Amino acid sequence: MWGQVTSGFGYWDVFTWFFFFALISFFVLWVRSLGRMDYKRNSDQDEIYWSGNEVPEDGAQISVPASSSYWGFRVAMEPLYRILLAFHSGNASDYAGYFVVTAALVGLLILL
Amino acid sequence: MKLHEHLPAFLVMVPLLGAFLTPLVASFGRVVRNVFFVFFSLLTLVIAVSIGMSVFGGQILVYVMGGENFALTLPSGMTYPVRILFEIDAFGALLILCIALAAFAGSVFSINYMDRFSGWKRFLSLYFLMTAGALGMCATGDLFNFFVFVEVSSIASFGLIAFWRDKPETIEASYKYMLVSQVAALLLLIAIGTLYGRYNALNMSALAAMARTGTLDRVVLALIISILAFKCGAFPMHAWMPDAYAETPSGVTCLLVTVSQASFYGLIRVCYSIFPGVAREGTVGWILIVLGCMSMFFGVMMAVVQHEIKRLMGYHSISQVGYMLLAMGVGLLALDGRGNAAAYGLTAMKGGLFHVMNYSIYKALLFLCAGSLYYATGTRDLDKMGGLARNMPWTTGMFVVAAAAISGLPPFNGFVSKLLIYESSFVVHPLLPAIAMITSVLTLASFVKVFQSAFLGPAKTKFIAVREVPAGMLTGMMVLTVVTLLLSLFPGWFMNNVFTKAAEALVDHEGYIRAVMGGGM
Repeated sequence: MWGQVTSGFGYWDVFTWFFFFALISFFVLWVRSLGRMDYKRNSDQDEIYWSGNEVPEDGAQISVPASSSYWGFRVAMEPLYRILLAFHSGNASDYAGYFVVTAALVGLLILL
Repeated sequence: MKLHEHLPAFLVMVPLLGAFLTPLVASFGRVVRNVFFVFFSLLTLVIAVSIGMSVFGGQILVYVMGGENFALTLPSGMTYPVRILFEIDAFGALLILCIALAAFAGSVFSINYMDRFSGWKRFLSLYFLMTAGALGMCATGDLFNFFVFVEVSSIASFGLIAFWRDKPETIEASYKYMLVSQVAALLLLIAIGTLYGRYNALNMSALAAMARTGTLDRVVLALIISILAFKCGAFPMHAWMPDAYAETPSGVTCLLVTVSQASFYGLIRVCYSIFPGVAREGTVGWILIVLGCMSMFFGVMMAVVQHEIKRLMGYHSISQVGYMLLAMGVGLLALDGRGNAAAYGLTAMKGGLFHVMNYSIYKALLFLCAGSLYYATGTRDLDKMGGLARNMPWTTGMFVVAAAAISGLPPFNGFVSKLLIYESSFVVHPLLPAIAMITSVLTLASFVKVFQSAFLGPAKTKFIAVREVPAGMLTGMMVLTVVTLLLSLFPGWFMNNVFTKAAEALVDHEGYIRAVMGGGM
């Protein structure tokens, strides 16, 4: 039972997972094989569609930069991020202060 | 002389010897220096594995230095052990194994990675000193020695964080860490001094046998929890971590991850072995849980929006430490609970300890992958990267393994440890696994972002000439990838032979005392 771990509520078995992964993969590939077979290499079908615009030569101009990822999430969580960014002031005195305040709070809680 | 009896001493002696021999050996040229670096790291790993093989078999290794007999913990007429004493149980051996493995992988990786830079003598000496400090923290059975080893590893890490001293960011990162770290170190010394004044002993087993639940003990416990939670990067004392991890050479960051785990070891050792009376009352468990949940959630929230790869991974380290604090907090709360709660408490501890090893390995691997990207492209900014999977297929493959593991995707090891933590923390409060799962989803989201930004997408003109990193760097990463895959494929074996033993050793308060004190006190 080298692949099995019991959690109390149930168990995890890595080899069972592999078995079901292979089984599902088989069905997925079987369904895929039933699809259209009229794809032609090196034809227009190979061209990148870029909202109808001409595709730039350099990939740098068509990739999404990391700082634009999850833009919606960032905007939705803006109030929280404002607090978190203020918290990470970069000021070493603030960091020492956070440590001292946390130590005091932990001490208070354990003493009470 | 039977060599294997002296393994605890060799464990710290070998990297220390490496540190002091470096200036001499490094002058014999590049090849000798590289062989020396890898050989001493490998030797440390071999010693750590040998210790693990003894200890996971059920033995507690005790080693006394400076006495007439290395096995004599209490010479006749003595009430307390007074000499430098190492005590390694299964919990300590687990951490020792993680540190030695990361140190070895980091050394192999650094041979090529650091080849472009000067200052090798300083680098090697500090690297070995940091390894010795971290190993000593997990091996020692004496609180004052623990403080000394904390300082050895801290001072070495200040130097290594500021290793590229021509960059102002590295000096700033090192300074910030040093400032807060020294405030913490002073308080740690005060806490240990207070214990010495109260009990006339510094040995952990002796203290474990005598510790009461008075006001002074509570103040000391609070100080030690705060200090070591800061050192392992728990929110809200984590701010040093992203800066330090981002600016350190990647081979060192790989080791720094496990050094922070040595502080986690200290924190858990103090709670479970020295002050179980206070720690298992309930408040300390909840403190660890709250620190853990805050670290998990706020760490990952900050990671999602980063676009500097090592900084992003630094915030993830805070988040991952949160899982371990949560698990060990649940363990403290549930162990004395009614019905099945005690069994779930032990499961939480096993999950937490599994996560300690997982985190040490896959996070170290992720930092090495980030180092490879920096080595190949000259940038750590994900905005500037793209399409690198074509040029760096091996790095890409190993990054995918590590990213899937940290995100908790089945069938990887991160999934198994997180599953154990989710299910056992549910017994304490259903909100806890919910926070942990949200954190896991956000972890996946941020690593998808890293993968998409760095490896996928169209090739960028400026990276056309980029090639796969040299074999030494790939080998360092490969070591950690293989361990990640082994932990993923055989979690049952590791659970039965390593993590269960470590969790049981931690709960066995009497056994920890008996190993040093015998039937005394």
